[in-house]
Amino acid sequence: MEANQKFRNGSRRAITTDINKYFGIVVMKRISVDIGGTFTDCFVAWGDRYVQAKALTTHQNLALGFNEALGDATTQLGIETRELLSSVDSVRYSTTLGTNALIERNGPRIGLIVTEGFGSTVPLSRGRGYGEGLPFEEQRDLTRAKRPEPLVPISMIAMARERVNYSGEILMMLDEEDLKHKMKYLVDQGAETIVVMLTNSVVNPEHELRVRELFLDEYPLHLLGAVPMLLSHQVAGRKGEYTRATSTIIDGYLHNVMYHGLGTLELNLRSNGYDKPMLISHNSGGMAQLNSTDALQTVHSGPVAGIASSEHLATECDLGNVIASDMGGTSFDIGIVTEGGEKYYDFHPVIDRWLVSVPMVHLVTLGAGGGSIATYDQLHDTIKIGPQSAGSDPGPACYNRGGVQPTVTDADMLLGYLDPDNYAGGRIKLTAARAETAIEDNLSDHFDGSVIDICKLVKEAVDHNMANGIATELRSRGYDPADFTLLAYGGNGPLHCCGIANALQINRVLAPPFSSVFSALGAGNVNQMHIHEKSTYTVVYHTGTKKILTDFRALNAAIEELENRGREDLLRQGMRGDAIKFRVELDMRYGNQRVETAVPIKKARFEGLHDILELIGTFHAAYGARFGEGSQATESGVRINTLRVTSFVDLDKVHFGNIKPLPEKHVARPIGERVCHFVGFEEEMIIPLYDETALNAGTYIEGPAIVTTTSTTYLIEPGWSFHSSNHGAVWFNRLTAH
Amino acid sequence: MNDLSENKQFAALSHEDRHLYEQFLVENQLFYGPDPEIMSNHGLSKRTGTEEKMLTSVLDMQRVSLVRGRLNSALEESFTMVEQMGVAPGAKWGDLVTAIFTSVGDMSQVAPHGIVVFASVCQYPIKFIRKYWENDPSVGIREGDGFIHNDSRYGNIHNTDQSLIFPIFYQGELICWIASTIHEGENGAIEPGGMPSIAESRFDEGLKMCPFKVVENFQIKRDLVNFLQNSVRDPKLQYADMKVKLHSLLRLRERVMAIIEEFGKDYLITTLRKTLEDTENEVRRRVAELPNGTVRINTWIDDDLREHVLAKIPISISVKDDKMTIDLRGASPELSNRSTNVCAASMKTCLLTNLVLYCWPDLPKNQAVLSAIEVLTDKNSMIDSSPEAPNAMSLLPIFQCFSLPSTIYAKLAYCLPKRYSAINANHYNQPATFVYGGLTQHEEVTGNFCADINGNGSGARENADGEHGISPVFGYMTDTGEMELAEEELPFIRLVAQQLAKDRVGAGKYRSGMGYEQISTVKGSNEFGFMSGQSGAKHPSAYGCFGGYGSPAYPLAKIKNIDVLEILKNQPESFKFSMVDLMNEQRYEGGEYTVQSALNFEICNPGEIYMICQGAGGGYGDVLERTPAMVLKDVEEKLISPDYARRIYKVVFDEKKFIVDEDATKKLRQDEREVRKQRGIPFDTFVASWVKDGPADDIPYFGSWDDHRKLIATPPAGNRYVMDADNIKGVMMSNPKDRKIKDLQMENAALKKRLEAIGG
Repeated sequence: MEANQKFRNGSRRAITTDINKYFGIVVMKRISVDIGGTFTDCFVAWGDRYVQAKALTTHQNLALGFNEALGDATTQLGIETRELLSSVDSVRYSTTLGTNALIERNGPRIGLIVTEGFGSTVPLSRGRGYGEGLPFEEQRDLTRAKRPEPLVPISMIAMARERVNYSGEILMMLDEEDLKHKMKYLVDQGAETIVVMLTNSVVNPEHELRVRELFLDEYPLHLLGAVPMLLSHQVAGRKGEYTRATSTIIDGYLHNVMYHGLGTLELNLRSNGYDKPMLISHNSGGMAQLNSTDALQTVHSGPVAGIASSEHLATECDLGNVIASDMGGTSFDIGIVTEGGEKYYDFHPVIDRWLVSVPMVHLVTLGAGGGSIATYDQLHDTIKIGPQSAGSDPGPACYNRGGVQPTVTDADMLLGYLDPDNYAGGRIKLTAARAETAIEDNLSDHFDGSVIDICKLVKEAVDHNMANGIATELRSRGYDPADFTLLAYGGNGPLHCCGIANALQINRVLAPPFSSVFSALGAGNVNQMHIHEKSTYTVVYHTGTKKILTDFRALNAAIEELENRGREDLLRQGMRGDAIKFRVELDMRYGNQRVETAVPIKKARFEGLHDILELIGTFHAAYGARFGEGSQATESGVRINTLRVTSFVDLDKVHFGNIKPLPEKHVARPIGERVCHFVGFEEEMIIPLYDETALNAGTYIEGPAIVTTTSTTYLIEPGWSFHSSNHGAVWFNRLTAH
Repeated sequence: MNDLSENKQFAALSHEDRHLYEQFLVENQLFYGPDPEIMSNHGLSKRTGTEEKMLTSVLDMQRVSLVRGRLNSALEESFTMVEQMGVAPGAKWGDLVTAIFTSVGDMSQVAPHGIVVFASVCQYPIKFIRKYWENDPSVGIREGDGFIHNDSRYGNIHNTDQSLIFPIFYQGELICWIASTIHEGENGAIEPGGMPSIAESRFDEGLKMCPFKVVENFQIKRDLVNFLQNSVRDPKLQYADMKVKLHSLLRLRERVMAIIEEFGKDYLITTLRKTLEDTENEVRRRVAELPNGTVRINTWIDDDLREHVLAKIPISISVKDDKMTIDLRGASPELSNRSTNVCAASMKTCLLTNLVLYCWPDLPKNQAVLSAIEVLTDKNSMIDSSPEAPNAMSLLPIFQCFSLPSTIYAKLAYCLPKRYSAINANHYNQPATFVYGGLTQHEEVTGNFCADINGNGSGARENADGEHGISPVFGYMTDTGEMELAEEELPFIRLVAQQLAKDRVGAGKYRSGMGYEQISTVKGSNEFGFMSGQSGAKHPSAYGCFGGYGSPAYPLAKIKNIDVLEILKNQPESFKFSMVDLMNEQRYEGGEYTVQSALNFEICNPGEIYMICQGAGGGYGDVLERTPAMVLKDVEEKLISPDYARRIYKVVFDEKKFIVDEDATKKLRQDEREVRKQRGIPFDTFVASWVKDGPADDIPYFGSWDDHRKLIATPPAGNRYVMDADNIKGVMMSNPKDRKIKDLQMENAALKKRLEAIGG
């Protein structure tokens, strides 16, 4: 509590805005929260006022940190907590609780039942499990390869004698007597949760369901010590025995932690006057009530909410294509939102160290942040950034906390970009001598230039690394970075965004409003949504027989089944039936290729050959846009592999009004000046410094210049301008556009 | 009398006639075969004019670094495209690459996750194209051209891999080359799947594409594709993946052009060359860190896929200051009508792969890793075979070579203060997988291989056990895939998909990672079959390190003339999901149970069973030093049996409670040490009793014995003979069926004779 109080006093920055001025009357009252590993961020929309607040996360009881942040917000609003909670339409959470639980390995002992013959599928992890989630440098060193500590030890894997084939035909009936022995074995071994993954259960779940029946007969739920059992086909709808198993295992592993953590939060809300269901952000970019949320769906929901925030801004403010980039102390996260708010999904994302099968908003993490260590690359006689990071402990050398390796932040500081006395709101005092010594000790012997010259190399290299990461992401999806607006948030985002944009030849960058609670903001602007998937083997065009699909009954029936499941989910949570909408996507491929292109269909049902031809045409266009016109391989056959139905209800969003560049350009008064150095410029420059008042709407500054606030530093590089808009949004524009 | 020798007469010609004479020979070349000058040189080419000019002037190293980073991003992008769009299983599960080459064809940079061996070997066809097609008016090299290639004799691992190669021009100047390679699989060979085990000549190997132009104006020539499709069993695959490679290269080209526009062509050219020279210099520096001396080991492959042989592949590494020599002389002579030969150029890139994966994994993956190293081989040996020798299943010696240098590098590197990799015993090093072909349940003709090849047991390390079934010896982050997805496309059922193979491990203080069993049958097609080819059924292929044991031997097994699908339906309780149990118990009457080394392609009737096993790596250190707790954990996880724990590791424990009897274990281990001492004899005595003059008469031995300049050949049913290493002639092997017929005829004749003797 003391730490929280200290933090609040030192760093609180509330933005309270009269929105009527910009957008007319809004009566939205909503709380959205992002519970991260370090901070609990809170964003409150209270009619025409927006409030942001922070507190340290209290891992022993998440409600304490939340109450702390909420208390801060109510103080700003001048109301009581009970009044706030009883008035809002919803309280929404995104959280990294699940990610932390995986890292800390504090889940239950899991027993796994798989089809006989597949006993080593999970331990073998498709041969590549040793490297999932690791940086490239570790992936390629096979001599030091090591799989992560398993969530299910080999001794806790039992095999059921049964077999179902790809089409759902039962080849071998489930041996029930044998299974009972296996279940007893797992329970005797102390299984606290049992996961069942039988082959092809997504096509025919009969055996998985029977396993649960038998288990409940033997170990009824009403008895003490009842063990939850999760069936793989109910967690992941796709074929792929390994990823379905890992998905279910992680779901089972996190279930109790998430249930108790979030359940405590819900009780806390109720005891403070909140009488509506608590809503949980999902990594799919949607949300649901606690009782309709799988634990697996909550993992990474915090960073995904940041992308949801970007999507909301892009839609609200008509930004077109957006790259969401979050550069913090240790990592650089990238997400993509294309025009019209289309999100990109990973259908087989990596969670912690495991490949899973769940539709998750695409999020790439690169190992580049302020803490990334700069080393001399002996081989190529040049500078190398990362992948090692000084992290926050000990942190960069200039933090004066024991770090002796030079980092990106050290270079930034010596180049003059950071204010040693007011870094991070003054919470961290920077020591130039430490940074200088770190560079002299580790790098100076290898380069001819001065310390400053070396710092420029560091700055240029890290900017290019991040630019290359973004470029690879976008281009492998068929996009040109130049067609995107870079959204830069996180502590180091506005500091490096011009450098990254230079390398990408991007002309404009937006440092978004409310960036210090950006994920919480995102959680407040997602729809109630569920995604259901089903594997299929539907040949649309058979190249050998030259036949095009004409019998759509099975396809339509499967779509209807998925729609019904989504409808039930939403009705259960009190949504109105007539408000429920569906988006149907088919994952299609040519021949036997790996890539599955998500093809949205306009009509919910296929009624004739025309619909099929239209589907092939839509697929053709989407594929060509991604891989190049002419790359389509229709002559190899066309297939549907997965059906996906997104069921959702459009909910009210928090409207910010206009954050676009304003026509007015106010001159700001510098608070001082500082010597700075820039890549591409030999001579040092004395540049003006500005404080938080530069964020007042309409402020226009041409670079080079620096704006320092309590949460970040805005570096306006030569050739760029700074133009603040409403709510603290800042536009960087290249003065001479590419 | 006039001197009729060509040289004398040539010398007598006028300058004009000499030119005419040379022109005549050039213009009347019948066939452009593999060029020995190109194929024998694994070094870097000389600097070009631009390279020389730039590298001798003041370079902006940061600029070079930025170009390198940009290329890396572009290569990753194009790699991802191929992986995503590719149709071949090899493309889907990581057996592919995209790479960039200098203007003269040296391989400079490869996609971060790409298979380095594919790219390294692609330097040779590029050099061929430049030498032979560039100035040929009927071919030429122009903007928008693309060349296809697969023949290993012109530079490839084997003919199942296909490359598409593009030149990149800028303002009319050839700047560099880019290429994409995929393990395609089917190529119209005598057996389906692209790696025919029974190929007796190169004409049994299917498509043999020496580099030729198949793309003009950035368009694939459909008439040529049609010809290629007509030559293979899976025309869909052939066309689709050519388009995949084309479009990924078009994308890569676009990125390279953007780099040229931004940084200038000279910086691109310089970066490509500088990367190579930096790498070569770094290798020399690292070699210089090693102690001077020679380390060596002899290895053998035990099969040529038609019969058991014992074919030697020795290796020694000599270090003298910053020079390293890898000597593979004394290897088996080539087998003229067996598919297990390998071209030297291909083999060398496997050595390169080993160095960059298991010795110096932090180095850039380019051909300069090997260019600083001298490699010695015997012409016409199994690992430096002639263009005429078949090599469709070169994978047997190749996989051995993929692990050779690191097998003995450990002995040089273990004492270094800074090591670039963990000291490790052999990774499992044979291509144990099902190759398949035939008609699928979806009425499509196919032929390819399974992704199980990507899950090999790793060797034990100096400080840790090996990992079970991770990447194969030639790559990392490759993928064994999902069986549910494989079964959806193909008519087989994996009764055992992935089950760690109990007791089949390289034991040691640290044990190896283990391989896994696979048991397959066919359902839904009467025209579908399997092939499998690997060494190691009788002689282990992966060796231990510093006292650790090698991998066990892994035979294949099959049960014909049964219907396991009926058994699963009607008497399911009888079926054991275990290769060992099925073969030991042989409980199904009428079933034909066979254990064999290799499997030539044959139809698997629905319900018949085929079984193979991925192997383990080698162990590290003395088994008696393995902690009892680690042994017990292996027992508890059923990786080893209690009996194995007692016999090999000498651990005494309670099998029910899993509690070690520390005192009894200590005593048992001490007893074993005493027994070892008693077994011990002076080295000279050992040598006197152990060393023989030659291999035993009944061993089908090939390769050197005590003198690496003398090579022994023991063709089956033939006489053993010895050749000089300088004059190796390929060994013709008789047909196993002919030998079988001959044996049966003799048996028949003997029976007839006996019948006659008894008056029948």
